[in-house]
Amino acid sequence: MTTPAPVTAPSPAKAPARRSRRLAGAGAVVRRRLLVAVPILAATSVGMFALGAASPIDPAQQYAGAAAFTASEENLAQIRANWGVDDPLPVQYLRWVGNLLQGDLGWSTSRHEPVTAVLAARAGWTLLLVGAALALVLVASLLLGTLAAYRRGGWFDRALRTTAYTVQSMPVFWLALAAIALFALTLGWLPAGGLTDITATSTEPADVARHLILPVTVLAVAQAPWFVLFVRDAVADSLRDDHVLAARARGLPGRTVLFGHALRTALLPFLTLVGTHLPELIGGAVLVETVFSLPGLGAVTVHAALGSDFPLLAATTLATTVVVLAANLATDLAYAAADPRVRLDD
Amino acid sequence: MTDLALPARLRRAKPRTGRAGAAVAWTVLVGAGLACLLAPVLWPLDESAVDLARTRLAPSWAHPAGTDDLGRDVAHRSLYGLRVSLLVGVVAALVATVIGGLVGAVAGTVGGWVDRVLMRVVDTIAALPHLLLGIFIVAMLRPSLNAVILSIGLTHWLSTARIVRSELLSLRNRPFVDAAISGGASRARVLTRHLLPHVLPRLALATTLMVPHAVWHETALSFLGLGLPPHLASVGNMISDGQRSLLTGAWWASIVPGLLLVVVTLALATLTGRWRDRLDPRVRAELNL
Amino acid sequence: MGTSVSKRATAMAVAGVLALAGCSSPTTTSTAAGGAGPLVVATAGEPDTLNPVLNYGVDGGSLIFDGLVARDARNQLVPALARELPTVSPDGRTVTVKLRDGVLFHDGSPFTAQDVVFTYQAVLDPKVDSTLRSDLDMLASVTAPDPSTVVFSLKYAYAPFPQRLALGIVPAKALAGQDVNKAEFNRKPVGTGPYRVTSWTPGDRLVLAANEKYWDGRPANSGVVVAFVPDDNVRAQRMRAGEFDVAELAPKLTTGFDGQAGYRVERVPTADYRGVMLPAGNPVTADLAVRRALNAAVDRAAMVTGLLGGAGEPAYGPVPPTSEFAEPSIVGKPAADPAAATAALDAAGWRPGPDGIRVKDGRQAAFSLMYPAPDSLRKELALAVTADAKKVGIKITPEGLTWDAITPRMKSDALVMGYGTPYDPDFVSYKLFGSAFAGQGFFNPGSYRSAVVDKALQDGRANADPATRKAAYATFQKQLGTDMPWVFLTYLQHTYVVKDAVAGVTPRVEPHEHDVANSLWWNIHTWTRKS
Repeated sequence: MTTPAPVTAPSPAKAPARRSRRLAGAGAVVRRRLLVAVPILAATSVGMFALGAASPIDPAQQYAGAAAFTASEENLAQIRANWGVDDPLPVQYLRWVGNLLQGDLGWSTSRHEPVTAVLAARAGWTLLLVGAALALVLVASLLLGTLAAYRRGGWFDRALRTTAYTVQSMPVFWLALAAIALFALTLGWLPAGGLTDITATSTEPADVARHLILPVTVLAVAQAPWFVLFVRDAVADSLRDDHVLAARARGLPGRTVLFGHALRTALLPFLTLVGTHLPELIGGAVLVETVFSLPGLGAVTVHAALGSDFPLLAATTLATTVVVLAANLATDLAYAAADPRVRLDD
Repeated sequence: MTDLALPARLRRAKPRTGRAGAAVAWTVLVGAGLACLLAPVLWPLDESAVDLARTRLAPSWAHPAGTDDLGRDVAHRSLYGLRVSLLVGVVAALVATVIGGLVGAVAGTVGGWVDRVLMRVVDTIAALPHLLLGIFIVAMLRPSLNAVILSIGLTHWLSTARIVRSELLSLRNRPFVDAAISGGASRARVLTRHLLPHVLPRLALATTLMVPHAVWHETALSFLGLGLPPHLASVGNMISDGQRSLLTGAWWASIVPGLLLVVVTLALATLTGRWRDRLDPRVRAELNL
Repeated sequence: MGTSVSKRATAMAVAGVLALAGCSSPTTTSTAAGGAGPLVVATAGEPDTLNPVLNYGVDGGSLIFDGLVARDARNQLVPALARELPTVSPDGRTVTVKLRDGVLFHDGSPFTAQDVVFTYQAVLDPKVDSTLRSDLDMLASVTAPDPSTVVFSLKYAYAPFPQRLALGIVPAKALAGQDVNKAEFNRKPVGTGPYRVTSWTPGDRLVLAANEKYWDGRPANSGVVVAFVPDDNVRAQRMRAGEFDVAELAPKLTTGFDGQAGYRVERVPTADYRGVMLPAGNPVTADLAVRRALNAAVDRAAMVTGLLGGAGEPAYGPVPPTSEFAEPSIVGKPAADPAAATAALDAAGWRPGPDGIRVKDGRQAAFSLMYPAPDSLRKELALAVTADAKKVGIKITPEGLTWDAITPRMKSDALVMGYGTPYDPDFVSYKLFGSAFAGQGFFNPGSYRSAVVDKALQDGRANADPATRKAAYATFQKQLGTDMPWVFLTYLQHTYVVKDAVAGVTPRVEPHEHDVANSLWWNIHTWTRKS
């Protein structure tokens, strides 16, 4: 990586004009990104269907559950015929794409409701969990990482890194169980799972928030080492950059140098990498949702994978891909908006 | 995004851990390695042995880590679990390295549209949560040792491919390569004599750093019931079996195997930390380290 | 100590982030108490739909619906939407049901014979994705000669038919002309039962409110919340946190609640058995001496105490001891009898080989025992059988597999199986042991063939006379005891933790399947909570 050019604080008057010029290419970038996104989405959905073709699982048997032991083969064959799951895969795929273009994502054979209903009921909770955990981990890692970098090799730095490596070695579901054991069972501070109090008749925001504290925190803590270590190293690096040294030499206070200069320089590469780390965060969310029995997309996706529920699998995979691509685009735009050296139209 | 240049300078960073820390880590790793290698000779395990008269015994001299729900010695099984998990981790990391190395090498040496297509594939797969992808792969192949290894290998090769590709791209313009080509060396010779020696250390490092990650992936699959056959001793299976005992007071059944795994991966991370520190932060982040 | 280290590390990390995020003062929870609120029950089993036509609560106890008949605390049929128990014609092929007057659905519309006809015709309709159709093989047609009479015509005489009439009745008006598979009704059903559905959040909870106009009297409580918590550990933790009035828990997890103030543990007997299916297609398991030796070698008492935490009883046949059809002579020793096992093997010429595994005619006494990988109880049973068999020189290799990998191998490899309903011995056994079904999927997968059993099973279903039926099933059980196509291991008990404040709990023998319907809370509309 090349050493960033010195960043001088832009004067308020000049800033808007420059920013608008910089963002002029944004439309083109969005268009180009979309052109790339469509083939990616198409490839993903074809991939899902191809994987499904190789699956040895009988969705009708999965659907029947324990009744599979008393249902006749003729009975199950009729159900498969009703669903059209024995049709050739290209036929199923084209039917699915055709419906998709009309806004119909199909029928989930494992959940027994339209895929759109499954997504509508559950995607929000998963997004909330992932979003809240991401926000928490960003704030915490920027603070902790910067502080550790400031006194590199100091006791705080050492303790933070040791903790980070230790936490990194712990599986997230393991952390989740430990958190439940401690905060829900031993101390009784927080609920052990679910989304709202079990007797609640509606979803009160305050109630939901209280139920989400533990899962969000566990997810954030489990993902934190990666973020914290990155921020710490990046800030430590930039603390030795010329412009930061110069700022120090000018006699600016330590806090200004640290947060105003060093952190700012380190922030840009960090931003772009957040997007690439998002899939990891979603994977963690699946496990956290399982342990805390949250009605998100995690558990249904695992269930759909086991039951060869292609419509739901394809939809969740596509939805996830869309979120990740959108996040990547957003971070690219943010990067460009924040860094004067990046021009979007090149 | 794909510009993963070498670190501009190798910093003379202070060793992150002191001598004592490194010594402890080496002892742990060597000890665990020896124990795993020698266990089948010195202390063979009958995977299907149960003793219903001795279930959930607390740690004692006879059973230093107690017994589990089925009266099996937790210490004994933890050792075998660690053995299996490390084996899965190492083999899966190697599989990932081979796949990633090949893709990266092709993209980096052939270039052109092949490079663009391959990198587009890498980007596509990188946009999917790899735990979910791993779940699909195992579900399609039916859970087994091979399926778990393949699932990890197929989802973890992306960063290796990127590293190898960018390494090759940056090397292509270096004077000694130009010299070799103008000296009339064949493409294959340039690749094996000049490029490979530069890329191999990077690959070895990527593999080592990937091992803890692969072990974690195996544990997660087992926790979801998609890992190794549940009666086999693996750390993931033992933690997921032991969960039930946690509430009834038999904490040792899940704590001990988990702790063993944490200690060993921590030792691994400590020792690889020095190499890790020399990596460009950006490459490090791409590797999810 | 392992716990303290890892917990402390977690605590530090969590506390650190909490403090930073500015939410460092978590509020303490106070769970709802007192007698006013709804009763809260927790289960792992969430139904896929709430439509009886699509297999919701087919054996009654479904809280939302009523069948023509219901079952009392002793599982005896009692009239429900029928005015009296059904009458069967002398040839056994026509069943007539008189309906109760003045029953209303939750939406206020009256219940009539057309609703019954619609319900059963929907089950028979090939376009409807119902696995229930296999259970109603014998049903030719259903008609309503007048608004308060329904007539079922059967293809052949089928004595247990009235047992199939516990299926919940759906309103024809709400579903007619719709695609039953995808109807909105499946999520927001309308029935005649003691509770109506207020809301269902899949993956979370089902909220039910008392049906004030219930024909059998207003429920004794204001409503029921069914919490769906698939993970055993989480359910136990939330029970301990006081969130539920009743929770179904794995037997081992209930032990922590035994003797704890405020809670009691209900161990409910079931007809749900587990056993090892020994296929005729495997040369080792086909040998009667091996099957007898295994039957003697397994330590059922140790399985009950060690694996089930005492919540079970030894099993020796497919008819549960609680059934009136149970044959008293079918008993065995709960503890292992290795001497009998080795004697049987010795007599048949199985001699110990150099490695301790017995050999006969150059063949080792070894076979694979499959179990479905996600089922931890079956895994444990497979391992226990393996260990017991090893002691008498039989080598078993346990294999944890998915169902799709198990199915093609059932003809030649042993399998830990389980099922069972308490209602009629015909229900499961007819297909599981009848030679007509040999090798057909999960029906008789081991291809057991016995002319005696075939005749007994046929006599049992074709004759209405209770004494004849009882004799037929006695013959059936004795023949199974002689041939031993299975080694039956245990009957399970379903275990529930109940808060002491809950009154009115009436356990009855449960079938394999129990979730919202047919669990301990089958009669929850008569329960109350002392405040």
